[in-house]
Amino acid sequence: MRPMPGNAAERGYALSEVSCDALLREFRKDFRIFAPVRLEGRGRFSDTDMVRYGEIRNFREMELREKSLFSPKEVLFPPSETLFHFAETGVREPSLLREDGKGLLVLLRACDIAGVDRLDAIFLGNGPEKDPYYEARRKRVVFALIECGPLGASRSGSFGSCFCVSMGTNRASGYALVLRPEDDGLSLFLEDPAFAAYLPPDAVRTSYAPSFPLEDPFPVRVPDPGDMSRAVREESLFSAAFWKDYDSRCIACGRCNTVCPTCSCFTTYDVTYEENASAGERRRVWAGCHVDRFTDMAGGHRFREKYGARMRFKTMHKIHDFHLRFGRHMCVGCGRCDDACPEYISFAACIDRVSRVVDAAASTGGDDHDAR
Amino acid sequence: MTHVDLWNDSPASSRECAEDCRCGHGSEEPGRGSGNPYAFRSLRIRDIRVQTEQDATFRLEWPGDEVPPPRSGQFFQVSLPRIGEAPLSVSDAGRDFLEMTIRRVGRVTEGIFACRPGDALFLRGPYGNGFDPRDFRGRHLVVAAGGTGLAPVKGLISHFASRAGEVTRLDVLAGFKTPGDVLFREELEVWKKGAAVRVTVDRGTTDWTGPVGVITTLVPELAFPDPENLTVVVVGPPLMMKFTVLAFLDRGVPLGRIRVSLERRMSCGIGKCGHCKIMDRYVCLDGPVFGAAEALALED
Amino acid sequence: MPRDIVRKKITKNAYRITSKRAETCLRVRVPGGHLDACLLDVVRSIAERFGDGTVHLTTRQGFEIPGIPWERMAEVNKAVRPLLEALEVPLGVTFVDLDGGYPGAGTRNISACIGNRVCPFANYDTTALAGRIEAAVFPHDFHVKIAVTGCPNDCIKAHMQDFGIIGQAMVEQDASRCIGCEACAKNCLKRVTGAISMKNNRAVRDPRRCIGCGECVLVCPTGAWSRDPRKYFRMVILGRTGKKNPRMAATFLEWADEEVVLTVLRNCYAFIDAHIDRSLPKEHLGYIVDRAGWPAFREAVLQGVSLDPPLRVAETLEFSGYFYERDRVFR
Repeated sequence: MRPMPGNAAERGYALSEVSCDALLREFRKDFRIFAPVRLEGRGRFSDTDMVRYGEIRNFREMELREKSLFSPKEVLFPPSETLFHFAETGVREPSLLREDGKGLLVLLRACDIAGVDRLDAIFLGNGPEKDPYYEARRKRVVFALIECGPLGASRSGSFGSCFCVSMGTNRASGYALVLRPEDDGLSLFLEDPAFAAYLPPDAVRTSYAPSFPLEDPFPVRVPDPGDMSRAVREESLFSAAFWKDYDSRCIACGRCNTVCPTCSCFTTYDVTYEENASAGERRRVWAGCHVDRFTDMAGGHRFREKYGARMRFKTMHKIHDFHLRFGRHMCVGCGRCDDACPEYISFAACIDRVSRVVDAAASTGGDDHDAR
Repeated sequence: MTHVDLWNDSPASSRECAEDCRCGHGSEEPGRGSGNPYAFRSLRIRDIRVQTEQDATFRLEWPGDEVPPPRSGQFFQVSLPRIGEAPLSVSDAGRDFLEMTIRRVGRVTEGIFACRPGDALFLRGPYGNGFDPRDFRGRHLVVAAGGTGLAPVKGLISHFASRAGEVTRLDVLAGFKTPGDVLFREELEVWKKGAAVRVTVDRGTTDWTGPVGVITTLVPELAFPDPENLTVVVVGPPLMMKFTVLAFLDRGVPLGRIRVSLERRMSCGIGKCGHCKIMDRYVCLDGPVFGAAEALALED
Repeated sequence: MPRDIVRKKITKNAYRITSKRAETCLRVRVPGGHLDACLLDVVRSIAERFGDGTVHLTTRQGFEIPGIPWERMAEVNKAVRPLLEALEVPLGVTFVDLDGGYPGAGTRNISACIGNRVCPFANYDTTALAGRIEAAVFPHDFHVKIAVTGCPNDCIKAHMQDFGIIGQAMVEQDASRCIGCEACAKNCLKRVTGAISMKNNRAVRDPRRCIGCGECVLVCPTGAWSRDPRKYFRMVILGRTGKKNPRMAATFLEWADEEVVLTVLRNCYAFIDAHIDRSLPKEHLGYIVDRAGWPAFREAVLQGVSLDPPLRVAETLEFSGYFYERDRVFR
């Protein structure tokens, strides 16, 4: 038996690719492991890859050097899930709610851990009821942090859109271990010493300790929610001219919603199976405030028909409304919305625009001189 | 559409769920006993009263001994499994009944309209704050309702119209598009015993003898003998509510004395799905009844 | 000016008869229409040293370098060597004499839209495929026009060629990712063939209407639609402009893989050889097939092609063209 690791300096390990596979084998006895995976040729454009979350069995399947296009939220809150099965004899809940399965080990970055915290706020905390489907998965989740490094990850490629430092989500807590991809294998840090039990015998002790991003490629000025509330009351924020830009720039495709680690909205509907009309299911799917029909009521009334109004609604939710309810921003600065927007709309830039309006309102006592 | 006969083939047959289901049947509180807040329980339709070509009032059996009745203005998520779920507001409730006045506007309500007495609807709820009659006791209550907006306040009006003295004065303004759209004709007559009831229609017909015009035209006629003790409730479509609130403001009624019930696309009913969020409020959790000041500040 | 020029020989060497008797003009091939910018210097240098200092950009994405005196052809052929070495040799085209200029010009430059190196709509690397086609068919003296395009938008006008190759995306759906937003269905209906409909709030593709454009992959916000990484092509054939019966090419093959495409292209030369009207200086393939018959053509070009699904072969060719029946139009 290896002695239990003590202080931080003694919790770093180096694992070769082979020993990573041994580690994953051990993990898989207790966990299903979810990590970013590279799906070759499955990207939006031909001959491009898709990086998104998938269940993995070995080291080679993980893609730890790229930001996944879709966030890990789909591990907890899948794009489409069955709430109830309907059969002639009655209603049945999916087995998810009945069975205690294996743990779910999720490899994710600091911003994404913050993202899960935001999902927790909605699914477990908003109102007296908890969402049992979310909770059934959430209570089984263990986080493994993918290290971004002081500037390594945050400077290149898809990390150019990151603004976690601005959002204060560059550091995380509540993870059991930290991983850093190396040329041959991983550096590993055991935050939770209990996980030493999974280490293969050939794991080498090192001085590795994780580090976190210290600076964003493009720092974003995040307005104070209180100042925003004031600008709303003084009618300078909602009337700001820049929202109208998005009327024509946004195409309401919803990609910013689907890639967002914190967008939690869903729509529920029933289906009847074609083969057996007396059977069917109640299903819920991701919904997005940018997408048509999100606010449609049965009588035909709808709200926020203009895309600029949808952009404003989302922006307010991400950096103001949620904060009023839960005391922290919903947006975690992962930058995925900026990566995904086919019209190159930057949400980070939108936050900056809000800041300018809020600042102007503060300095002029409420008059909106230069909304842009 | 295909008529889905509410989950069971014969209305008379037993409608027990499968052994292992947790849809809430037989639980303490409808839809809430199972631990799954999305589960629903069945309530049998006692009778159906046609109101207009597109509206009808469904009275359901309510297990009043188990559960206190919901309030007017609260809503249930009503299911027809394999068709869907819709938020429907309580138009009245008592110890042994729950009443919902429903407009036929979508797949689910179409399905409900195909039901007959004895059939079951599947409900979870109630959700939202609704109107608490205690809030209005001893006050001058003015209720202004547009179209189907009368449904969520019907129980509230009935309560006070039949209990002389609980409020100092009760005014009911009801606006409908045409005489054919008038809801609760019988109740409107009954209410006249305990309330000043005014019904207007946007477009009259030859046999319509009442006032013609939008509901705001009725506001100037109202007398406010005790303005300090006034409470106004406005319910209806978004534009109607906006202009009616403005009409009361014109009459000098302070915003703080006006309440509105917001219509949004409630879906999950428990603050998760996001459809009914307006700024930092969730209509399903924090509403649908809001003070007008707050409601006006909630901008979509 | 030389006294005696063998017209057929110089044509085969990629020079052409021009309206100026003392001068010729060189055709430079750029397979796939994409080249290293430094090669423009080579073209420029040839034009300035031997030609009149101008260059024509052809519709087939080659260059024509005019104003070259006949007697300088040998020098020009030597000067062309860097182009052959950069644009042809790497593709696998072999040359008997790299200083002898182009060994053929009948089968024209393989042109290509910009393809997926740049264009988001393209379903494959068009330039690369053009290169592999070049290696399969060049040099050849029969006049055959081939163009490849990334998607059914057909920016290269593959429909005006003897053979047009159009990229097809075999799209696949991960139904568990479909959120019923209808983005794909609406887009397909508005912009394409309406091959996607909604069933139980999920998108369902009708393979009989799907032309493999891949737009559903582009618009899907959840990545539910993706392309099978294997590449497929629709081949349209026997389109043409011209003085007799201009017409759009008609679909011959769908969901053909690259090997099928290359085999059909290779096979067409034997068919031409067997049926061409040699009394004409160059008979276009379409007219040969009009005369020899579509079944004979089909049989000839499909030799050695395995007809396994998903490949589909047209039973008939649906051409839309016209004859110059002027009296009917102009009264």
